[in-house]
Amino acid sequence: MNKNFVMLAQNSSHDYVEQASVCAMSIHLHVPDAKISLITNDPVPDCYAQLFDNVVDIPWGDLAEKHEWKIHNRWKILHAMPYDNALVLDTDMLILEDISHWFKFLSKYDLFYTTNVKTYRNDIITGDFYRKNFVKHQLPNLYAGIHYVNKTPFTYQFNSLLDKIIQNWNEFAGYIQKNPSIDVAAGLTAKLLDCESQITNSQSLIPSFTHVKPNIQGWASLNESWQKQIGSYFTDDLELWIGNYKQSGVFHYTEKDFLNDEIIKKYKTKIGI
Amino acid sequence: MTLQGILVFAFNNSQIDYISQAINLATRAKKFLNLPVSIVTDSSIDSDVFEHIIHYKPSFTTGKRYYDGALSNKNLNFRNDARTHAYDLTPYSETLILDTDFVIADSVLSYCFEQSHDFLAYKNATDLSGHRNYGEFQYVSDTGVDFYWATVVFFRKTLLNKTFFDLLNHVKENWTHYKQVYRIEGSTYRNDHAFSIAIHIINGFQKGDFAKSVPGNLLYTTDKDILHSIEDNDFVFMLEKQRRKGEYTVVKTANQSIHVMNKFSLDRALKNE
Repeated sequence: MNKNFVMLAQNSSHDYVEQASVCAMSIHLHVPDAKISLITNDPVPDCYAQLFDNVVDIPWGDLAEKHEWKIHNRWKILHAMPYDNALVLDTDMLILEDISHWFKFLSKYDLFYTTNVKTYRNDIITGDFYRKNFVKHQLPNLYAGIHYVNKTPFTYQFNSLLDKIIQNWNEFAGYIQKNPSIDVAAGLTAKLLDCESQITNSQSLIPSFTHVKPNIQGWASLNESWQKQIGSYFTDDLELWIGNYKQSGVFHYTEKDFLNDEIIKKYKTKIGI
Repeated sequence: MTLQGILVFAFNNSQIDYISQAINLATRAKKFLNLPVSIVTDSSIDSDVFEHIIHYKPSFTTGKRYYDGALSNKNLNFRNDARTHAYDLTPYSETLILDTDFVIADSVLSYCFEQSHDFLAYKNATDLSGHRNYGEFQYVSDTGVDFYWATVVFFRKTLLNKTFFDLLNHVKENWTHYKQVYRIEGSTYRNDHAFSIAIHIINGFQKGDFAKSVPGNLLYTTDKDILHSIEDNDFVFMLEKQRRKGEYTVVKTANQSIHVMNKFSLDRALKNE
């Protein structure tokens, strides 16, 4: 069973290549025989390049050049990845346990998006604080942060429409929200193609991740940053604790400053680079 | 040979007659559950309703605000440290721990002894008023761990449960530390909190299945409500009205066990029964 991972990283004011590299380290620590590719036009430092089986250029120019929020090249992942199938990850993810078994489940699908995400307490998130538009416009509740792609005609068809929506956001989705969102685009694509049941399963916890955005954690007060509300700690063995909870699965830290030099150093030390 | 029974803890203070509550509980336990009851206390007992009277000298006394409805309260002594020693104190191999203010009116709890899990506690409970939303009964603190009720706990004498109670005593003996680490507010030591923390730890600092749910549903009224009267299996309550402090709605229950937190009104109702 292939265990292929793909990330797309485009540096802006932030170093997403480094985020992807730390994510790759976390994959190597927990998923045996994983293959990882990074799609980027940014330089990859030598110490990080060895983490990837392939570093691939973003093809056909940079459609996100004028944008700080760079999602306009996401549709190219399917074309650029050097695998027939792969798990696509956002770069701000950390793999905390072996998820090899996901691939057996996902191999039955052309395309599969995450629907259920969890709090740091491992409760399924039901709050819609960040998903008002999904509710209002009855879009499938998809998270592109982790999704699986298989190079089949259906996936190319889905991806083609996803691309058109992103590149023509105002025409397709301006009525939903002003700024482009890959999750909204995926949800709208699924709705237009009427294929929700083909690409996700509301009962499935494969794939899933801990989504630690602050206002869906079940806390009484609203917060701008989860890190201001609760402490986090990485052991030298790279066990992650959020408050009183030891984390497992996949952790989507969402706040860029979470990945500080101390954590990066611990990963580097552990993996020996 | 399996010995099955109920263990209650009763330590009177200047106002609350926990012994009378325990006698009522034991009488009802015989009627509804056909189980013997043993009592842990520092008082002399003039009743033959208990199978064993186990003397225990509390190691500390804390203060607690006792409400008698929404408009009246008193600060009284509270001696609740014995419960963590239940494993060593119980004369039974299968023990059901009950609060003295748990008023039995059905036989649901007899199923504890028929099911296969060795440790049971309620994680969820239902407020009879229907309008209150107590976050404190969901988590021990806003960012903290799952709340479990120490009101009704079933355990068998197993090595794992011995470890659990050892851990529970450790948490209690180092309460100042654990209270801070688990961000628990207030100065009163609560068994609910100590049990919740110990369950969280024994689950590996994650959500887990060490504690299965007690059969049935834990129904409760708070100390802001008033138990008006008890007549056999019929209880009449005055429940605090929503946003109308000091006003009450009359509610009657029948054939339904219930946790009555207003101990003043429970004492009165028992005297008038």
